Order: sequence, then C-alpha cells, then structure tokens
Amino acid sequence: MAKTKRGCLGCSLPVAIIVLLLVVGLLFIGFAAGPVGQSLFGNILPGWLSIPEPEIELPASVVFHVFGFPVTNTLFTTWITMLVLVGLSIAATRKMKIIPKGIQNLFESLLGFIYNLCQDVAGEKNGRMFFPVVATVFLFVGFNAWLGLIPGYNSLTIKTAEGVVHLLRPANTDFNTPLAIALSAVLAVQVFGFKQLRAKYAGKFFNFGRIFKSFGLLFKGKVMDALTGMVTGFVEAFVGLLELLSELVIHVISFTFRLFGNMTAGEILLMMIAFLVPMLVPIIFYGLEVLIGFIQAIIFSGLTLIFMTTAVSHHEAEEHA
Amino acid sequence: MDPTAVKLLAVGLIGSLGLMGPALALGLIGHSALNGLARNPEAGGRIFTSMILIAGLTEAIGIYALIIAIILAMVVK
Repeated sequence: MAKTKRGCLGCSLPVAIIVLLLVVGLLFIGFAAGPVGQSLFGNILPGWLSIPEPEIELPASVVFHVFGFPVTNTLFTTWITMLVLVGLSIAATRKMKIIPKGIQNLFESLLGFIYNLCQDVAGEKNGRMFFPVVATVFLFVGFNAWLGLIPGYNSLTIKTAEGVVHLLRPANTDFNTPLAIALSAVLAVQVFGFKQLRAKYAGKFFNFGRIFKSFGLLFKGKVMDALTGMVTGFVEAFVGLLELLSELVIHVISFTFRLFGNMTAGEILLMMIAFLVPMLVPIIFYGLEVLIGFIQAIIFSGLTLIFMTTAVSHHEAEEHA
Repeated sequence: MDPTAVKLLAVGLIGSLGLMGPALALGLIGHSALNGLARNPEAGGRIFTSMILIAGLTEAIGIYALIIAIILAMVVK
C-alpha cells in the first residue's frame, strides 16, 4: 500500500497552508489590537482584544489580614507552592513500587538528578549530608518560578482597602523571598562548616596564629624570621577577615539579587510583551521563562552545594601548606 | 538641567553601557566552551554543565545593572 508522502511537519499541504494563514492572521490581529497598531490604524478592533497598560510595582501589595498580620500576595503564593510540593510528595509516595511508574517515576528522576549533582560535587558521604538542603532550595525556587507562569498569576484581582490588586504574584518577584532563601542557605553553609570542623572552622576567618608565632620567634632571637612572619601573618589575618565579609555579606547579596533580578525582569518582560502583541508572540517568551526558572534553580542550589563543599573541606588545604 | 531629563539619560546609559560587559563576558564563555568541546567532544556533558553554571553567574551582573535601571526609572521621582 503506497503511503502518501507527508512533508510540512507531517501535515498535508492544504492543512499546512491553513495553519500558516491562521498564524499570520492571529499575529496581525494581535499587532493591530496592541498599542503600536492602535496608533497606526486607530481603534478598528473591539476593546476586549486590547490589554490595559501594565503598572509595574516592585513592592508586593497586601491582600488580606490574618489576625491583624498583613498577608501580601507573594506570601500567599509561597503558601500555594508549599501546598503543591506537599501534595505532589504525598501523591508520589503513596503505594510505592520497586519499579516506579507515573508521579513516583517523575519525582525519582528529579531527585535522582539533584542527588547525582550532590555526589559529583561533594563526594559520596558529604553529598548525602548536603542533599536535603540542596534539594529543598532547588524544589522551592524551581516551583516558585514555574507555578508563576500558570494563567491566573498576575491576572486575577481582588478588591481590598487600597483598591484593586493582583491576588497572585510569582513568589520570587518579591524581594523578601530570595532574601529569605539566601539567608537560610548561607546559614546552612556555616552550620555544616562548624559541624564538621568544630573550632578550626572559625580559624579560617580569624587567622591570627602566625602573628603570635612570630612574636615567639622574636623572643628566641630570630629577628628577621619574626619580622617576615609578622608581615605574612598580618596579610593572612586580613585575608581571613575579607573571607568572612565575603561569606556572610556578599554571598547573601549576590544570591538575592541574582534570583530577584532574573524573576522580576522576566515578569516585566512577559507583561510588556503581552501588552504590545497580545497573541501568539508571548509563547516564545513563556518558553524562555520556563528555561530561566529552571536554570536559576540549578544555579542557586549548585552554588549552595559548592560553598558547602569548600566550607567542609577547608582544613585539608591548610594542613599541607 | 531638567531632573527628569537627567534621570532618563541615566537610565539609558545604564541600559547601554552597563549591559555591554556581561554581554562580552558571555560571548567569551561561549567561545571557550566551544573551543573545549571541539578539542574534546567526549567531555561534552561536563563542559555544558559548567558553561551553564558560569553563564548564570555572569548573567547576574547584567541583572544588577537592570535592577539599578528599574529602581531609577520607577522609584526615584
């Protein structure tokens, strides 16, 4: 039986032409309904095809109060993300089988990916120790970013005392959420360092040993060695304090701004594109946002993992010096 | 000069000069990643993973410039 040759991505030629005409027509309608088309052609299309100009506000707005505590829309979406994660975990671990199928399979592959990453970077034993924190950061950041793309976020509104505000907003676009995750991650790094190395971990930052040893050399009569020792000692102490500043302040700031900037820029980009050309073109940018959410989750958790590994393995480098 | 004019000029300069550096850096990262991949196609997976990680870190610098531009444009009156 002869098969009709199918070009054009598996469709016959008339179907492909119809689809192409539909796409071009939708693009043109979208262009004419947006602000550029309206200034060129005037308001020839009905009003429900256009989108009002988006107002970009950085701080999150309060949607309701719980016992006097104001709940912002981003806090609300954080709760929704937590509920989704707990729900998925329950669904994945119900009636577990040895050969996984369905949601259990999906979650096993996701967690297996993170576990392999931990073991590649940190080794067997340390990878197992770091895995809970790294996986939590990855899943929380990733699901915050991905759930923010579902229709309903940034579009459903609720009437409050201050006017009409968005009910749901992607959680990473509020400055507080990345700050909280960054502080927790840096705290976890310090905790792991202290747990593994006890007091010697503080010796990484407060490196005054060489200065005291050079003082001792002075009293033994070796003046030249003592002076060079003291200079080197001061340099080492200064480097140690600089490392302390870098660990506690700069890592927090860079983590926060990286995640916040990426997510806010993505949200503004999507709002602007949806305002300029409402049909079909936002699909491309949605794909970009999905990819960026995933990459940011990997970067956040991967960097946390790397900092934990250097914090735990510091003393081996020093002992051989 | 008019404060609004200076503010708009500043935002425009951030958008052009501030984002040049990260763009150049990302081009260099791609260049070295492709070089390494061409010399050693077997290490493709590790090269790709490292490239994505370093690209994310460099992208953050561009995001810092964008944050400054957004704050200047929206928050400062």
